Formats: sequence, C-alpha cells, structure tokens
Amino acid sequence: MNNQEQHSAAARFLGLLRPIETDLENYSRRMVFDRRDCEDALQNAVLRAFRAFDRYHDDASFRAWMFKILTNEIFAINRKRGRVAEFEVSVEPEEMEEFASLDFAGDVPLSWETLADTLDEELLAALQSLNQSERAVLLMRAIGDLRYREISECLGIPLGSVMGNLSRARQKMRDAILRAQRRESL
Amino acid sequence: MKCAEVRKFVRLYLDSELDAKQSFEVQQHLELCAECAGLFEAEKKFDQRLGRFLRSADAAPALWKKIEAQIAPAPLAKFKAFWPLALAASLIIATGVAFFTRSRNLDLAKAVEECHSAYVHQITTPEFSGPVPEKIAQQFDGRLDAEAFAYRPSERAFTTSGARLCHVEGVPVALILGHCAETPVSMIVFRKSELDHFPETKRKLESGDPIACSRSGRYQFAARFVDDHVVCIVGDEPRPALEDLLRTVRGADG
Repeated sequence: MNNQEQHSAAARFLGLLRPIETDLENYSRRMVFDRRDCEDALQNAVLRAFRAFDRYHDDASFRAWMFKILTNEIFAINRKRGRVAEFEVSVEPEEMEEFASLDFAGDVPLSWETLADTLDEELLAALQSLNQSERAVLLMRAIGDLRYREISECLGIPLGSVMGNLSRARQKMRDAILRAQRRESL
Repeated sequence: MKCAEVRKFVRLYLDSELDAKQSFEVQQHLELCAECAGLFEAEKKFDQRLGRFLRSADAAPALWKKIEAQIAPAPLAKFKAFWPLALAASLIIATGVAFFTRSRNLDLAKAVEECHSAYVHQITTPEFSGPVPEKIAQQFDGRLDAEAFAYRPSERAFTTSGARLCHVEGVPVALILGHCAETPVSMIVFRKSELDHFPETKRKLESGDPIACSRSGRYQFAARFVDDHVVCIVGDEPRPALEDLLRTVRGADG
C-alpha cells in the first residue's frame, strides 16, 4: 500500500469509527474488570482493527465488527487479571420463547424513574455482580445497539445463550431498581 | 394477538427482533389495549434509564485524539500550525455533537447511517446505472422490485452516479447514489411492506406526518411514502433542503 492509499484507508476508517467512538468507550469502561485497562483495550482494539481493515467487507456492520474486536481485546485483558470468561451454554434456540416470556418488567413499579441517585448506586452494584457473559450481552445491546444475531456472532455463542444472558442481566438490573425503591421508602 | 402473547413478545418487539408480521400484531394490540401499552411504556422507560446509566461514564476526548493520531499521523501533524483554528473547529463540533446527541435518531435513520457513511468514504460505489441487471434482480427474493431503482428527485440539483442493491437490517433496498452540488447524497428505497422492521419510523409516517425527519448520525435524514415504497434521503445537507429534495421524488411513471 503506498502513502496515498494509506491516507485514503485511514480517512475511510476514521469516518466509520468516529460516530461510534463514544459507544465503544462506554462499553469498554463498563466491561473491563479494572478501570485502568479501559484505555489500553480501546487503543489495542482500534489499532488491531485498522491493521485488519482491508479484510472488512462493506456489506457487514462496522459497528458489530468493531465491537467484536474490542470484546476480544477486553476478554484477553480481563483474563490476565485472573478472571475467566464464563460462556456456559445453557439455553437452546428452541427455548427462546420461554426466555422471552421471562423478560418482561411487569413487576417494576411505574414510578421508579423518579428515584434519586440511590438508583445509580444500586445499578452499579448490580452491573458489577453480572458475570462476564451477562455483562457483555447487556452492554452490547444497551450501548452497542447490536442485534441478537450480531451479539451471537461477536461472542461466538448460540442465539439462545444471548437471550438467556440478556434476560438474566436485565432481571438483575430490574431487581436493583426495586431495591433502590425500597431504600427510598425507608 | 392476545395479552398473554403480547407480553411474551413485547421485549423482543422493543429490541426489534420480531419478524414483520409479529411486530405488526404486537403494535396493533398495543394501540388497542391500555394495560399492555402501560407495561410496554414501563419497559421502554427501563431501557431508557438503563441506557442513561450505562452511557454516563465521562468521555475522554484526549484518548481518542491519541488513538486517531496513531492511525493518521501525517495529516494531524500538518495541522499543528493551525491549532487555534483546530480548537475553534473542535468547539463547534463538540457543541454540535452535544446538540445532536440530545435529539433522538429514528430507527430507520440510524440503520441507514452506515450505508451513507460508506458511500461518503468511498467504501460503497455504484454497481450499475440504467436498468437493473438480471443477476441483481435475481437477488430480490420477492421482497424488492426494479421500480424501486427508478425513483429520482426531479430537482436538477441532484445528479446520480448509479445504484446498487443493499441490505439494511436484513431488508433489501435500492441504494441510489448521487450528489447535490459537491455533497454526497444517498437515496434509499424499499417496499412499504418492509417498514415493520422500523416501527418508530412506521409510527411517525402513519401518524399523518408526510415526512419523517431525524438525524442519521452526523447526517440529516428524511423519509416519506411514494406510491408503494418508502423513499429516504440522507446527506450532509440542511434539513429543509433534504425535505424539498424528497418532495420532488417520483417513480419511473410519475
């Protein structure tokens, strides 16, 4: 690749990267077990992606592609910190409907959004209590806005596991809301 | 669809994971059933509050500057002498970003952003101009038609360089690539029946708004119904200009 081609590739890459930088950063901050690793994870992932940019196909989602690379980087860093990825396959695709039915917030009080800062504390504690797979799936959906199929491809797990992990993670976050409400009413 | 079924599927509906038929049925039920609509709203608020919490970490612009400099060191070095200008530009951009992130993007606008961004950065180029080649028509799978590729704004300001078949969230669309003066503008056309994949846009267009507008990332977006199709225009043009352009769009026989 000559200089001009390199500049042109860099411009194209940055054009796709910039709209999703904030999402990648939020995802990384919430995913790493040690906050100090966030910047390393982002830097390594972006440089790795740029080196592999000639293998990126324009019919694929750049967002999903970047999240996949960043997730691999974060898992590698977390592993060094002594925490192992937990991707136990516990749900089969045919059980998807069952999980879908569990995943509804009928028990969350309608007035909860008026809760004060105690809610953020409870949500943070709940987020930290999630295992790595639950956390990755929840963040990829809530921050990355990825489809279930894209999350499944990013993490290399079946679609049913994506739904199972997402359902459990959301339930734990809802429980946090209920706890915050109880604390407020005391 | 009954309440029990809707409650089973509403989470998938919110995540845009239902097929077109199921999505339509859930939406219809929510319009008629106040109790399910209330629960749906509660879940939507849960998503919004959770999203706000998860995205609340402080951004680190210096970090991104450092990372970007490693990708494109030369162009950044060139601008060193113009740092006051760069600073002013950054402030304008930061203000713009803060403003734009406050306004919510429609689901369809969000989905087509990458398509247009790829065109702007010359990753996507036209596959053909003129009639749709047979080998491309074979890929329609009964979900798109050649007429979709024939829509054009009548305004002279728009010049097209060709078209290609693309998929947006799995929906086959006609992507017509062109320019308004020097600005790249993408036109995306697909069948009205596929709009169930984009419930927010569908609601907006069916609520009586002749044109649905939104940000599409860093671009402007406008969409409307033309005959049996949904026509969207995306570009870095002022919103009123895009709306005017969209109003002049006609099909082959229009």
